[in-house]
Amino acid sequence: MALEIKGLTKQYNATKTGLSDYSITIDKGILGLLGPNGAGKSTLMKIIATISQPTRGTILLDGVDIVSNPNFIRKVLGYLPQDFGVYPNLNAYEFLEYIAAMKGVGGKDLRRRIDMLLEGVNLTADAKKPIGTYSGGMKQRVGIAQALLNDPKVLIFDEPTVGLDPEERVRFRQLISEMADDCIIILSSHIVSDIETIADEVAIMQGGKLITKGYQHDIIEQANGRIFEVLLESSDVAAFKTKYKVIDTSRQKDRTRVRYISTDQANVAAARPVDAGLEDAYLLLTQHNA
Amino acid sequence: MQYIYSIVKADYLQRTRSYAFLLTLAITIYVAYLFVPPVSASYTTLSAVGFKSVYNAAWVGYISATMTAVMLSFYGFLLVNNSIKRDTDTEVGLIIAATPISNFRYLLAKQLSNFVVLCTIAVCTFAVSILMFFVRGAGYPLVLAHFILPYLLFVLPAMFLVAALAVVAEVFLGKRSILQFIVYFFLCGVALSSLNTKSTAPPSGVLDPFGLSLVTSSIKNEINTRFHQHIDQVSFGFIFSKRRPFQLITWNGINWTALFILSRLLWMSFAVALVYLSSFFFHRFDFKKAAGKKKKRAEIVPDHGGLAVVPAGISSALLPPVVFNYSIVPFIKTELLLLIRQGNKWLWLPSIGLSLSMLFTPLPIASLYLLPALWFLQVTRWSELVTKEKANRLHYFTYASYKPLQRMLPAQIIAGFLLAMALAFPLVLRYAIIMDGLSIINIIIGALFVVSLSVCMGILSGGKKLFEVIFFLLTYAVVNGLPFTDYPGSQPQHHNLVFTGVLSAIILALLLISFSARRYQVRHL
Repeated sequence: MALEIKGLTKQYNATKTGLSDYSITIDKGILGLLGPNGAGKSTLMKIIATISQPTRGTILLDGVDIVSNPNFIRKVLGYLPQDFGVYPNLNAYEFLEYIAAMKGVGGKDLRRRIDMLLEGVNLTADAKKPIGTYSGGMKQRVGIAQALLNDPKVLIFDEPTVGLDPEERVRFRQLISEMADDCIIILSSHIVSDIETIADEVAIMQGGKLITKGYQHDIIEQANGRIFEVLLESSDVAAFKTKYKVIDTSRQKDRTRVRYISTDQANVAAARPVDAGLEDAYLLLTQHNA
Repeated sequence: MQYIYSIVKADYLQRTRSYAFLLTLAITIYVAYLFVPPVSASYTTLSAVGFKSVYNAAWVGYISATMTAVMLSFYGFLLVNNSIKRDTDTEVGLIIAATPISNFRYLLAKQLSNFVVLCTIAVCTFAVSILMFFVRGAGYPLVLAHFILPYLLFVLPAMFLVAALAVVAEVFLGKRSILQFIVYFFLCGVALSSLNTKSTAPPSGVLDPFGLSLVTSSIKNEINTRFHQHIDQVSFGFIFSKRRPFQLITWNGINWTALFILSRLLWMSFAVALVYLSSFFFHRFDFKKAAGKKKKRAEIVPDHGGLAVVPAGISSALLPPVVFNYSIVPFIKTELLLLIRQGNKWLWLPSIGLSLSMLFTPLPIASLYLLPALWFLQVTRWSELVTKEKANRLHYFTYASYKPLQRMLPAQIIAGFLLAMALAFPLVLRYAIIMDGLSIINIIIGALFVVSLSVCMGILSGGKKLFEVIFFLLTYAVVNGLPFTDYPGSQPQHHNLVFTGVLSAIILALLLISFSARRYQVRHL
């Protein structure tokens, strides 16, 4: 199974472009989408989820164009939008039954499937209470359960870990890692560490364009040798920031440890090169293309 | 004062920058056009037992202003009684609650923004009234004071009060919209019934919130004095009667008194006082506090997730296999469940009571009055039929579902129709007993019409208000016997296949528009 996106463009109006001639091939496994706000991540996900139409371009799922034949992907799609809601008067069980009807899932085992999904997201105890009374994290878990109702082959998660506590985030990562063997998972998050721990491949986007796509170590490799740390007097940090792209700072008594991007170590005394991470590579690449 | 101005401005812009508001203005202009009927029309908007005035500036100006005051008091309330609710739904209220603004200032700002919205509509009817003077006019001179003064002294104070009552209703009755409508319309009915009280003292209009008793008494005096009549009833509204020649009078308006003008200021002060009093009961978006001990449902369920409970996890291999079933029956079931659970469960009591009463009341009363009233009581259920997905941000799921247009939308229409028919069942049963098949068909077509209208208005406007206002006006017109609005086919002249055919064609058109618009929406989020 593969999702092939060719020359996808989404033009909202004469001045606003969501995606610009975007091409990518996504195979089974987890693809993490990274990019600043307005990079086009949600636009891309909405178009794949068939709820937004591109201005130009095609998306082929196993050779079938889903832009002109949206119901082909809808049968095998699990989608968790960034800002979804629920019907507050329904309980979790009734809500999942409703979503199952939308996805065309039925049969005598549906009840058992919903029970197991609710158990999997730790909502069995509250399944009969109206969703309107749930906390944000509980609603998010209902959202995760609904995405899995139809045994999806394409899973789209837009900021799935928002509202989840640290333990739930760990469990979510385990959950989708298990599913990745059998389906395409596209995941966007602002939390780079989430992508770093879950995704097999990473696509970095900016301004509606794909900057790079590859395995994590290949992307991180692009940053190796360009990330440095230095201990500075706290009063010097502001001046330092005007010269270099600072990734992170941490205060250590009266001094500040500064992590920064540079092409040349020699310019700063006492600076030492450090191993790059995905966040470093992301900041380097988006800064370079800004 | 600066904050209040900013809140009023933002609130006003938020409400008026929508297609629904533009549509409301378009409908208002049409209704304002109807306020001044041609001489040959089969209806009148002011009935004084066989008399009416020549279309001079006073008659056109005052009729337009009084009709605006009455009609806009009714449907204007429906338009503006959601200003606090919007802040709740958008969670802007939480931000407002954390600012230093006092409850009174916040509610006053809401009242003023309601007032400005209503004034915008009134300005449209004012402009149309001047236009209608020239369209219908018979060469009488244009006296602007006959247009400006009634709008200034009847319409504006009435709208100020309506704006305040909308805020007060939101504070005390919260999201129970239908209960707000019932209480408000009852109050309006009481106020309007005082227009023709048989008091010996000359009415000064002081105690009348609309002030319209001044107009009715002036017209009565004119007719009784000049034609030696004893009429004691002057009615406003779209009044249909068998065409008969009217005797023409020349009515030149009323003489304003200082007492009356002072009374308008007092009514406006009373409106502000009501808002002030309600500010002591305003929840300030703290719903736990507002719900009290009885409302346990409103409390947030403690999250049992995290480390306290050992997670079971989800293994796709262990889940039962998926069986696909593309039937729309489960949708219909859930849509019905949502319709039933919408609003306060106790509000089912008047609906069920009204429905059962149709078993015993005379058939004409049941079909002409009870059925339209009963269906109007469901207005908030039907107005949510196709708008709830977006209101609850669930449209991402529904639009991405398998064949949403062929499954989801029909299920919603069927659920809405089943509700209408279930409520009308006692009446259907009675017609079935007397073998009146055409009346049963008319009820079925009427139910389909209401549901199609709600679906079409909801999809086009994206909100509930447009349907609520139109359905209110429609119910008002039906109960007042306006022939072309008789969608339940209750009037004897509509017991024919032509009527059924015309209404069916309208339903078909509404559904075609709905499906076409929704087809576009599901692919253009």
